[in-house]
Amino acid sequence: MTLSAWLVLGAGLFCIGVYGILTRRNAIGLLASVEVMANAVNLLLVAFGRYHGTGDGQVFALFTTALTVTEAAVGLALVILLYRSRKGILVDSAAELRG
Amino acid sequence: MTPLDYALFTLLAPLGVAVVLALWNGLRQTGKLAAWISVATALLSAFAAAKLLGAHAANEPLGGLSIPWLIHGDLQSASPLRGSIIELGVRLDGVSVSMLMVVTFVAACVQLFSLGYMADESDADYGRYFTWQSLFLFAMNSLVLAPNLLQLFLGWELVGLVSYLLIGFYYKKPSAARAAVKAFWVTKFADIGLLLGLIVLFVDTGTFAWSVPVPHAEWVAGLLFFAVMGKSAQFPLHIWLPDAMEGPTPVSALLHAATMVAAGVFLVVRASPLFVQAPDVGTLMVYVGSFTALFAAVIAVTQNDIKKVLAYSTCSQLGYMVAALGAGNIVGGFFHLTTHAFFKALLFLAAGSFIHAVHSNDIRHMGGLLKPMKVSGWTFIIGAAALAGLPGFAGFFSKDLILEGMFEAGHLLPLIALIVAAGLTAFYMGRVVFIALLGEPSMHAHEHHPHPAPPVMQAPLIALAVPALLLGFGGPTMAAWYGQIYSFHLGAVGITASAMALAGLAGAWFMFGPKQGGAGLKSAFEPGGRLAASGAVDRAWIGAYKAILLTLASAIGWFDRYVIDGLINVVGETTLRLGQALRPLQNGNVQHYLYAVALGLLALGTFGMFAQ
Repeated sequence: MTLSAWLVLGAGLFCIGVYGILTRRNAIGLLASVEVMANAVNLLLVAFGRYHGTGDGQVFALFTTALTVTEAAVGLALVILLYRSRKGILVDSAAELRG
Repeated sequence: MTPLDYALFTLLAPLGVAVVLALWNGLRQTGKLAAWISVATALLSAFAAAKLLGAHAANEPLGGLSIPWLIHGDLQSASPLRGSIIELGVRLDGVSVSMLMVVTFVAACVQLFSLGYMADESDADYGRYFTWQSLFLFAMNSLVLAPNLLQLFLGWELVGLVSYLLIGFYYKKPSAARAAVKAFWVTKFADIGLLLGLIVLFVDTGTFAWSVPVPHAEWVAGLLFFAVMGKSAQFPLHIWLPDAMEGPTPVSALLHAATMVAAGVFLVVRASPLFVQAPDVGTLMVYVGSFTALFAAVIAVTQNDIKKVLAYSTCSQLGYMVAALGAGNIVGGFFHLTTHAFFKALLFLAAGSFIHAVHSNDIRHMGGLLKPMKVSGWTFIIGAAALAGLPGFAGFFSKDLILEGMFEAGHLLPLIALIVAAGLTAFYMGRVVFIALLGEPSMHAHEHHPHPAPPVMQAPLIALAVPALLLGFGGPTMAAWYGQIYSFHLGAVGITASAMALAGLAGAWFMFGPKQGGAGLKSAFEPGGRLAASGAVDRAWIGAYKAILLTLASAIGWFDRYVIDGLINVVGETTLRLGQALRPLQNGNVQHYLYAVALGLLALGTFGMFAQ
């Protein structure tokens, strides 16, 4: 496969993630969309690494995976707190900062 | 000791005493000790001034002192308005030395007299009185010895402050407190002229010197004259002086008759090279001065309060001096200043001893005081004769010099006013003498058993009576110091004025002497009395205050309320409305913010693509 095919696939995944973030009201859905966006970037990192014939891209991808995991852990903790205080996990329900 | 050392002593010793007494409560509140320190300093100052005068009379070099105080501009610059050094210091010449002699001599006499006159006060008040007296001596001397107008301004304001403090000496008395505030306000209002005059002078010439060519001389001289009108109680700014009589009588003698009110005249004498450049202001001075002389003399005739008579008389005599200076007769004005200082201080102090004896200011409560109070009575008569200008007494020579000068300058109408005022002067002084000293003892006086004043009060009277008798013969010497030749000769003007004075005296004897004649004439004076009692001039000032100042204030108030505040309100309202309008953007919903971020990125990306 050519590099451009990977780039199209990555951009497509990223756009799906953005679409999910902008439309989902469920907090877990938001987190999943973030994961999709992160993994689109991961895919591109690996693809560029292979294209240039070095290991850098794969190393970065590993770091990103680790970061995404921690981010998901923090995010899920927030979701739990949200659920406890609102009896629900819709992000619309947390709008105290309305001007 | 050099002459300069004597001059510095007269400045620094009273300052030191005043500061020590003001700061050291324990010493001040001893009363007697504080008073004697102050009196001893004043006597030594008078002695130092006498030594200085002697040195000047012997044509010794007097020297001087100037300490650079402010340096302004670029001293190296070649332009005519290059920088200058403004100095503090001491200037010694005929004018300052003779004025210093007058001030220190009268101050010493007054302080000595006060030892007796103020003896009824509590120790703390006694000490406070002498603290201010010492401060006054320093302030007045620094004004007299000033080498430039700026130092004179400092002394001028300082004597104004002490005047306020001493008029309000009996501050628990509402009328005294009011009089003090009034004197302060009126003179400060006039001092605006001095300040503005100094500013114009400085902008014009870059210096505060006494004698420089000034492009805007009319402005400078006019503004300075406005301050002189306030300080030297010229119509219509004379209103504070009669009220200032609320102060203790020795204070009236020193500040409000002999020295401080003469500061205005002294300023014109000093700055005469400047006033010469403004002939129109000179003409104004002639008319203001002669009108004041006549106007105040008319009111003085109607007063029954002995201090009020003398206060209006002071206004009147200052009018003579101002008129003389306006006519360019510097020697005449200054000569009358010195003679007047002595005999008016004498009159006030003698009047003070009468008041002390009968506990009343009213001449109708006195009567026949010459018999029990020989020294005070006779010295008062000498002072009255000098003031009335009876031939041979001091006031005769100086007044004659003024009238002759007025005649030579060709100001006929002012001359007539001044001659009539001379007749009235003799009349009102004769009236006081005939009623208070020679008339039948009143019931009031009888009750208080008037007794001779204590020696400490008699000695200053005798000391002041000597110059009141003899100083008239010192005129030629004083004129010579000023570089002019003056020899007395009795001309037509002098004869007319003397005849007027004698006629005034005869009229007083006819109406208030043993005959008590002319009852119908007495009612002729009533309009003058009513004018004084009604305070028409005061009300005119209050009316002007309301019309000008309050209108101006309300216009400024309107501007502030509607324009300034309006602008601020517009800014505030706009901000508030804008905030309200933009409020819905912050709806607290995370996804809306994300939309904004995404759209923003998209916009930036698009912009970035097309910008290249």
